[in-house]
Amino acid sequence: MGFWRALTFVWCGLCLTACASAPPTPEMIANNDPYEPTNREMLQLNGKIDRYFVVPTVAVYFVLVPDPGRRAVHRFLENLSLPTTFVNDILEGQLKRGGQTAARFAINTTIGFGGFLDPASHMKIPDHGEDFGVTLGVWGVGEGPYLVLPFLGPSNARDAFGLAADVGLDPTNQIPFKQHIWWDAGRYYFTVLDLRGQTFQTVQTIQRSSIDYYTALRGFYRQLRANAVRTVRPDKKLQDLPDF
Amino acid sequence: MRFQPILRRAFLVMAVGVAASFVAGAPAFAASPAEDYVQNNINKGLDILNNKQISTDQRRSQFEGFLLGLTDMKRIADFTLGQYRRTASPADLAAFEGAFQNYATAVYQSYFSKYAGQSMKVTGSQARTPDDFIVVTQLIDPNDHSGQQPLEVDFRVRTDTGKPVVVDFSVAGIWLALNERDQFTSFLGQNNGNIPMLVSHLAELAKQFRNG
Repeated sequence: MGFWRALTFVWCGLCLTACASAPPTPEMIANNDPYEPTNREMLQLNGKIDRYFVVPTVAVYFVLVPDPGRRAVHRFLENLSLPTTFVNDILEGQLKRGGQTAARFAINTTIGFGGFLDPASHMKIPDHGEDFGVTLGVWGVGEGPYLVLPFLGPSNARDAFGLAADVGLDPTNQIPFKQHIWWDAGRYYFTVLDLRGQTFQTVQTIQRSSIDYYTALRGFYRQLRANAVRTVRPDKKLQDLPDF
Repeated sequence: MRFQPILRRAFLVMAVGVAASFVAGAPAFAASPAEDYVQNNINKGLDILNNKQISTDQRRSQFEGFLLGLTDMKRIADFTLGQYRRTASPADLAAFEGAFQNYATAVYQSYFSKYAGQSMKVTGSQARTPDDFIVVTQLIDPNDHSGQQPLEVDFRVRTDTGKPVVVDFSVAGIWLALNERDQFTSFLGQNNGNIPMLVSHLAELAKQFRNG
């Protein structure tokens, strides 16, 4: 059910985007951003939510939870994401990386007290993240039009679908227990706090140094995601650089 | 998706990376000399950034002098204008190139001090063409015990003029000049190709960064 709820949310966001957009200009089409006006509005809305709700909440989190505690929460959340990473490693045919992911999860869940500690890193087992959007890219699926999702920020059609798919692929979402919805809510709430706390200065930097924050963010996102796919497919590393 | 944690260190590397950019050197490069060229200039830039014997202002001054003495900002500036380069008047182009240089040095100087003590190591390179190399480095943070892979920083080295020149660099796959081109062309597209307006914005941003 988690996958279908997530897909419904993403689909509603996409429909809202499509319905609200004026016909795209040739420049928007050339930039693969046919919904740019709506995307810009969504970025502004997300910015207001961030400024008036998320950032104050993060500030309270920082005051109430000392740094060692926040790092422990971060490690716990990272550990929770490893089953999804493992599934995507296998789907991409990356057996070695899948083995590393499985080892990290097993070690950190057991002797790492559920992931609050990270003994796997002390054992030099490398860490990485994967998601179904990257898996689709590895399989050759194009990114599709650029999107800015409500609350979730920059994405594209492929990654938005991948986001929903990851909810379904996450083995922890298949564990039946009565309070699952509260577990989900708590997990994603603390994920937002954790991510925003880590990225506060970075986002400020981008905003301060950008001529056009929207375009800067769009460019960063696209290049990062393309690089994530290239990491798995190194044969594509040099394809897209212009000559100058 | 590891979008945000990677960006956390991205701007640090941009400050260091620009220091190693655009340097004159020997012609006729194979991949290994391109690697040596990048490593030597990284070291020079990092020596300045990590020099605790001088004041912050002196460090900034030396860093800017290093950048201006060794960079080819004009080539990058012209690239970031995209299609608007062809129709720009000589006066607008000159003004933009000056503004871009001012902006680039101001923005990246403002963040250099945050990451003192880190280093870069060249780990390899690839030749796209006989005069176009991608040199791969890793950013080594001795205080990072997260277990994550070291951040990869790539330098694009061109030798088409007979001298090696770094024309772009990337952090975790984000090529800086490409991103700047996207921003500037988008801005110009929304403002009828008004380069003086872009110049004005760049000057304002540079001023904000220089004033802290």
